Amino acid sequence: MSPGQRRLSVPRTIRVRAGPGGRPVSVDGRQVDSVRESWLIEDHWWTERPLRRRYWEIVTVCGRDEVVFCDLVSGRWWRQR
Amino acid sequence: MFVYVELHAHSAFSFLDGTSLPEELAVAAAAAGYESFALTDHNTVSGAMEFAAAAHSVGLKAIHGAEVDLEDGRHLTLLVVEPAGWRNLCRLLTLAHARTREERTGAPVQPPMLALDDLLGHSDGLICLSGCAGHGVGDEATLWRLRESFGSDRLRVELQRPYLSGDRAHNRRLARLAQRIGVPTVATGNVHAHQRSRAPLQDAFVAIAHHTTLDASEPLRRGNFSHVLAPPRAMVARFPEFPEAVAETRELAARIDFDLRVDLGYRYPGAEDPATMRRLSELCQSRFERRYGPEATADARVLRPRAEARLEQELAIIASLNLSGFFLLHHDMLELAREVAVEVRGPDSARGLLPPGRGRGSSVSSIVCYLTGLSHVDPVANELLIGRFLNDELTALPDIDLDFPRDVREVLIPRIHTRYGRERSALVAAFPTYRARGAIRELGKALGLPAGEIERVARASEGWDARRVGDDIEGAYPGRSRQGRWRWLAQLAAEAHGLPRHLSQHSGGMIVATRPLIDCVPIVPAAMPGRQIAQWDKDSCADAGFLKIDLLGLGMLSAVERCVELIARRRGERIDLSAIPYDDPDTYAAIQAADTTGVFQIESRAQMQSLARTRPETLQDITIQVAIVRPGPIQGGAVNPYIARKQRLREDPSFVVPFLHESLREPLADTLGTIIFQDQVLEVAVAFAGFSIGQAEGLRRAMSKKRSAAAIEVHHRAFIDGAIARHGVTEELAEQVFTMVRGFSGFGFPKAHGAAFGLLAYQSTWLRVHYGAEFLCALLNEQPMGFYPPDALVHEAQRRGLTVRPPDINTSGVECSLDGDGAVRIGLGYVRGVRREEVHALVVARDREGPFQSLADLASRAGAGAAAMELLAWSGACDGLARAETGRAHSVSPPRREVLWQLGIATPGRRVPAGVQLALPLELPAPPPLKPLSGWETMLADYASTGLTASTHPVALLRRMGRLPVDSITSVELERLTHGRRVRVGGLVVARQRPGTASGIVFILLEDEAGVINLVLPPPVYERHRLLVRAEPLLLVEGKLECYAAGGGVINVLVDRVGAISAPDQVVAEIRDFSPLAEPNRADEAAASAGTDSNGATGDFRAVAPAVMSFGAGRRR
Repeated sequence: MSPGQRRLSVPRTIRVRAGPGGRPVSVDGRQVDSVRESWLIEDHWWTERPLRRRYWEIVTVCGRDEVVFCDLVSGRWWRQR
Repeated sequence: MFVYVELHAHSAFSFLDGTSLPEELAVAAAAAGYESFALTDHNTVSGAMEFAAAAHSVGLKAIHGAEVDLEDGRHLTLLVVEPAGWRNLCRLLTLAHARTREERTGAPVQPPMLALDDLLGHSDGLICLSGCAGHGVGDEATLWRLRESFGSDRLRVELQRPYLSGDRAHNRRLARLAQRIGVPTVATGNVHAHQRSRAPLQDAFVAIAHHTTLDASEPLRRGNFSHVLAPPRAMVARFPEFPEAVAETRELAARIDFDLRVDLGYRYPGAEDPATMRRLSELCQSRFERRYGPEATADARVLRPRAEARLEQELAIIASLNLSGFFLLHHDMLELAREVAVEVRGPDSARGLLPPGRGRGSSVSSIVCYLTGLSHVDPVANELLIGRFLNDELTALPDIDLDFPRDVREVLIPRIHTRYGRERSALVAAFPTYRARGAIRELGKALGLPAGEIERVARASEGWDARRVGDDIEGAYPGRSRQGRWRWLAQLAAEAHGLPRHLSQHSGGMIVATRPLIDCVPIVPAAMPGRQIAQWDKDSCADAGFLKIDLLGLGMLSAVERCVELIARRRGERIDLSAIPYDDPDTYAAIQAADTTGVFQIESRAQMQSLARTRPETLQDITIQVAIVRPGPIQGGAVNPYIARKQRLREDPSFVVPFLHESLREPLADTLGTIIFQDQVLEVAVAFAGFSIGQAEGLRRAMSKKRSAAAIEVHHRAFIDGAIARHGVTEELAEQVFTMVRGFSGFGFPKAHGAAFGLLAYQSTWLRVHYGAEFLCALLNEQPMGFYPPDALVHEAQRRGLTVRPPDINTSGVECSLDGDGAVRIGLGYVRGVRREEVHALVVARDREGPFQSLADLASRAGAGAAAMELLAWSGACDGLARAETGRAHSVSPPRREVLWQLGIATPGRRVPAGVQLALPLELPAPPPLKPLSGWETMLADYASTGLTASTHPVALLRRMGRLPVDSITSVELERLTHGRRVRVGGLVVARQRPGTASGIVFILLEDEAGVINLVLPPPVYERHRLLVRAEPLLLVEGKLECYAAGGGVINVLVDRVGAISAPDQVVAEIRDFSPLAEPNRADEAAASAGTDSNGATGDFRAVAPAVMSFGAGRRR
């Protein structure tokens, strides 16, 4: 990537406390108020970098709409948006 | 109370839209806790009967249905509630497929799809779900129309949760829509795999279906593995917001009352007619007198009392089983075939003496079949027992198989559709499954692996077991099978192994019904115009109780008929094959010497090796001979004891054949104490273990199933106990006999089938012995058939002293024919790439206006295009004409280059819209001095253009050119050497085989200028030289000569080193058209049609070598 350019929407690591079924309960210390949607990506399994991610679109108690995902291979959580 | 019922699932019968067999789904669903489960394949019910049977065996309630495509691409899910619903579903699927094949040239072909109006008109007995998440019907207007037709009680809005972004919102919208329409929602899972390991295959299938790669198909794939079968409770958890949709699955399942196994209501024509028994009886009686009455032969008259008793017995069984209509229907069909045969053969044909077809299989053991013309073998004279075909405890319809010459069958099949109605008859389907080579090519491409490397692995593959693709990869590229995408190729191929790939046509099975068949099973058009196929294979048809008639095309029957016709035309002899001498010493001498190349059944490498040991002397011996080289007798250990005893008896007629028990003496007398025929399994079970005939047939059926071990074990205990109770034998002896029976679990012939095939084997040998040239000519015209390629047939005939001549423009017909002196002349139709109608036009022009006088004359009258003329010239068909023209009748080198040069000047006929524009008959200038063709180049041209050479054998050429080591010896010299000698031999590969019964040993048949050589390659040698063995047409091998007296003196070479003979390949000619008038790429087109590259007539023998039997994959190079 040339200087001055930057990739948009790069996922960033976050701290998540999850409840039953992997549902996020708090994200970076903010309580999750509700889950709007959840989806699953299992793809690129034939490549060196297979994807297995459970996405959650959540609304925190402070009213923020966020999309976070758990990497089901490493177990780490990331914020997508 | 169960919590959830799956109402939407696909099996692999959805073809590239499902990855599990119906049986796998049923077993997995039962194990996961389902009590009911629906199979809703995409536009098909091909897996329905298999699913019904599998579900029944695991206690699962099977629900049937299908996902159908509408014309606008949307999907709907249909479920069968009651028999009327099944009828409608079958009619709808028949409609959906109506335009999936080209009805006439140029007619549009479309994928299966259904007009909404058609669906609305066939809604009775069906429940309609609104379809899957991706392609379902979600608009209010269409749903209202569906509601009007199906009513609120049989329309449901389908909710799915494939875990994609936006699912929940979509489902909420659908739920609101359902509320407005006034129908409930129902939850479904859209299952595509029975377990997680199969899920990646679904992604690969999507890529294959769209002719793309996994990397390029992201928008088309599902994105995750939520389509794997989940337990009912997990499914409930997917729909926390819609408990009523989950509850609805149970409600619907409870309402469904349709069992495919019993609710079909199929009847075959004649099944309900009370007068059929009387008619059958009268028919048999009227024919009985002809066969066994005063006018019959003395031998037949002697059999009369036994025949009467046999007829009475069979008619009684037929009456008790109510099968008279079944036999009359077959008889009716044979009469239809008789009419067709007269049409096809012509009124005055010598073939008219032959029956229209003949029986094969177990039905040949029936006297009713013999009398009604369904069999040509007298079961009383041949001592064929009826039990395997017909017995009191029969639970399924017996099988009658009929063989027809190919031309009769071609016309008969559409005629049957006409006679019984297109709605009432159809061919049975077959489902080719994924095997190694196909899986490597398709899945390798989906994975984006390099095409050249995929092809290399595919060619080196054994070709069958896709579960061993890892080994194939390892063989071609050591170390790769565990790396990256190659590892995935091995895994995916293993998962795909055995899954149905597409619907195809069974080799000859046909079903007919009294009521429209399309009420029982969907009917789809076949690839061949005029034919139609049911969506079920033979097993499903049998489970449905359908009457299946096998109308098989048999190449040898066609060849024999051609031969008889040729003899009549050429010699004026009309031969009735049923009246030829069946004790002809010359015929038996040929059989005993294994001089049987080209005849029926006893011509293969394995058969020839066995003939030298068994030395058949009677038809009975040939009956055993055709049955002996089969997996059943081989695995059952019957072959060597039978042959050893046969040899002992020949040397010492007082030799007493040993029997394991006295009760086995009668059933196994003919086969000298061994089990060679299927029906002997029945007879042994009855005589030794006291089984009823029905029980014994159950055991035989268990042995014929694919996974038979468990099924056979069920009968094991009963067999042992029965034998001990009946004869008081020791458990050890009972086990010994059972082992012999179980060993037979591979494929084997019933004796009746052996008798039918044995007879044709004898008849074809008799023709070959007494009318060699006519027989060869018939074989060449009926290709492809038999074990040997035409090239090998020609060479073998030449070694027997027959003359075979190459095609000639002034002598050859379209087909192969006989010259006035009895030599076989290769037909112009053998020249590859030349259209049949062009050759036909050429022959017509010649016959009408006399032989062609010169190349210019040929060019002006031929009526064939320039490309065709060049191919004919390259094949040598114009050599004679050119030689006569130049006065060099005896020149050594064929003047093909000169001919090509002159034809280029003559600019022979060009294709124009109205046909072929002929050239002017101008005098041609003499060609410039051109390099003469060498013997090797001529041979290459022969192979490239006709697939055979009638001149010098390639190995003789190579030997002359010093390409074979001086110490290499010929097949004839081998015969003079002693056992154990180290030898080096070279030759052209005629067959490569690796039978499943031979523990990995590879057999190769080589041919040199003097004869054939049998090679035996132990597994390590094969593994070491796999690519050479599989791909090289010319091999040079070293090994030990083996010649055992017990082996009948057959010579084998036990190979330990394999190499290729290097051929003097070079470009031999360039076909280039420099004329400004030349059509673009004409030369390229001509060369490509001949199977060569565009540089000319190819310098590579590999590219033109004849296609031979290769590892069970049919004929290939």
